[in-house]
Amino acid sequence: MSPQVIVNGIVLGALYACVGMGFSLVYGVMSITNLSHGALIMLGSYVTYWLFTLWGVDPFLSIVPAMAVLTVVGYVMQRTVINRVMGGEPRITLILTYGLQLLIINGALIAWKGDYRAVTTSYAGKGLAIGSLIFPYSRMGVLLIAIVSTIALHLFMSRTKLGHAITATALNRRGAELCGVDINTIYAVTFGIGAALAAIAGSIATMVYTLTPYIGQPLLGRAFVVTVLGGVGSFAGPLVGGLILGVAETVGAALLGSNFQEAISFIILVIILAVLPRGIFGKRFFGGAL
Amino acid sequence: MSTSDQEMQKAGEGAKRRSIFTPRTQRLLSIGFVAILLICAAVAPFRLSGYWVRVLTGMFMYAALASSLNIILGYTGYADFGNIVYFGMGAYVTGVLMVTWRVPLPLAMLAGGLFCSLFAIIIGLPILRLKGNYFAIATLGLSQAMREIVRNMRITGGGMGLSLPLLRVDPRVFNLIVYFMMLGILAGVVIISYVVSHSRFGYGLRAIKADENGAAVMGIDTTKWKVRAWAITAFCTGIVGGAYAFWFVYFTPPDVFEILMSTKYLVMVYLGGIGTVAGPVIGAFLLEFISDYVWGRFLQIHVGVLGAAIVLIVLFMPKGFIHMVRSRILPLLTRAGAHEERS
Repeated sequence: MSPQVIVNGIVLGALYACVGMGFSLVYGVMSITNLSHGALIMLGSYVTYWLFTLWGVDPFLSIVPAMAVLTVVGYVMQRTVINRVMGGEPRITLILTYGLQLLIINGALIAWKGDYRAVTTSYAGKGLAIGSLIFPYSRMGVLLIAIVSTIALHLFMSRTKLGHAITATALNRRGAELCGVDINTIYAVTFGIGAALAAIAGSIATMVYTLTPYIGQPLLGRAFVVTVLGGVGSFAGPLVGGLILGVAETVGAALLGSNFQEAISFIILVIILAVLPRGIFGKRFFGGAL
Repeated sequence: MSTSDQEMQKAGEGAKRRSIFTPRTQRLLSIGFVAILLICAAVAPFRLSGYWVRVLTGMFMYAALASSLNIILGYTGYADFGNIVYFGMGAYVTGVLMVTWRVPLPLAMLAGGLFCSLFAIIIGLPILRLKGNYFAIATLGLSQAMREIVRNMRITGGGMGLSLPLLRVDPRVFNLIVYFMMLGILAGVVIISYVVSHSRFGYGLRAIKADENGAAVMGIDTTKWKVRAWAITAFCTGIVGGAYAFWFVYFTPPDVFEILMSTKYLVMVYLGGIGTVAGPVIGAFLLEFISDYVWGRFLQIHVGVLGAAIVLIVLFMPKGFIHMVRSRILPLLTRAGAHEERS
């Protein structure tokens, strides 16, 4: 097994980290297992795709408009629909977001058809060669984005008033309410941020995968694994969880054959859940509610 | 779809009487009601077209799956999101036994169910320690991992799929056999669900759902009971999987480990009324009817309409159909009834 496998694993893991970040936030703060996360990633991908195809905007630059669009989408989804069932039977949001996902994907299928699409940048396929190792530029960019957004999210949560309000809501909903936090707005904002983080994953996924309305579905499974692996309530959790998963998948595929790549991530998931139910950095958050 | 309409109507009536008649009369009435339904179901395939026989068979299958899932989800409160793993395993064990060792169908199905039960006991001991969404995620992972494992095994035919020996009979007769087999399985699962619900065991499971620590303090060996409940769910689901294998003759791992399918019957449980005996059955008939109708009329947007239906159901009757009938419609009916008596 060559060191290149590890390098590939790390850059794949960076994408998984981005995928897991928004999912983990929404899960940690609101205890919503957001099954529409994959569909939101897909919407982000299409924003990036159209910006690239129509105006030639670089996928890394179009992360910003994609985030803006998805923040609005997420905010509206939470405000108008999901907030209505918050605080009831916890598993009901699972079903609700599943229904929303079906709606969004079907909408995308009608709007953009099931055609395979791709974003091919001028630097696609090029990379930095150090010895026998190759570091593709776009994948290095993905790794950078994963690190930057992890730090940015951490700073937002720990340095801003809004971030404090979100953390307070996650830790103790009633207590936050007593301190004058408008829970419904915080929920909507959190979901909006979660959707914006999904947009980051969506934008960079266009450089890694072929784009169809189903691009988010395999990533949704990875979001679960990353969240559980990293643990909820820690800013480094998704990054570390994503990197571990990426490396485990590529190493496993190199050893056992690529047929098992998907099975590996789920077997890891089941083992981690059985052995370390709170993940590597997990804290007792509202969403954990263990 | 006359049967489901009738059923819904009668369910409403039965519930209305509940408040008026004594428990004994009420029990007799519900037995009579079930008997009428069974007679209708037995006569129906000889009166209806082949299309409706097939649709009804599908409804029975989903009703049986929803009722099996209800034991772990509704009674015990554990959201088994990847219950499809037992469906797929049941189908594959039945199929492999029939193809490789020429085991007769009923024995193969039974073996499939028992295999699933055994698997649930072994895997349940670690996994049932998880709570809430973590359990849901673990079961989801389990089903996906199992799909990949089956796809990479030789005895199952791998990604090529598995073909069962064909029964050499007229297609119409074959459809009738499958129809009555599914009906029988549905009846069996509902009986199991009823017995569990009304036994000490069922009360124990509900205690676990309400407060697991509390149940443990009351002397319930929670791990053991949860594993047992899951084993029952697994057994019933596995049997239905075996029947599906016989019905569809040819299938591949993505067909029988399709997460969309288990989500569908999970939604049915919520739709009908979680934790009740009749709820999952009603939910299955209702949602199958909607999705079948939509499938026929709006092929392009049928998934979206299903999604919209799910969203609307969750928003407007989050506790399910039965609960809505009991809490909203019944008071109206009984008030009207009382009014008539007085005047």
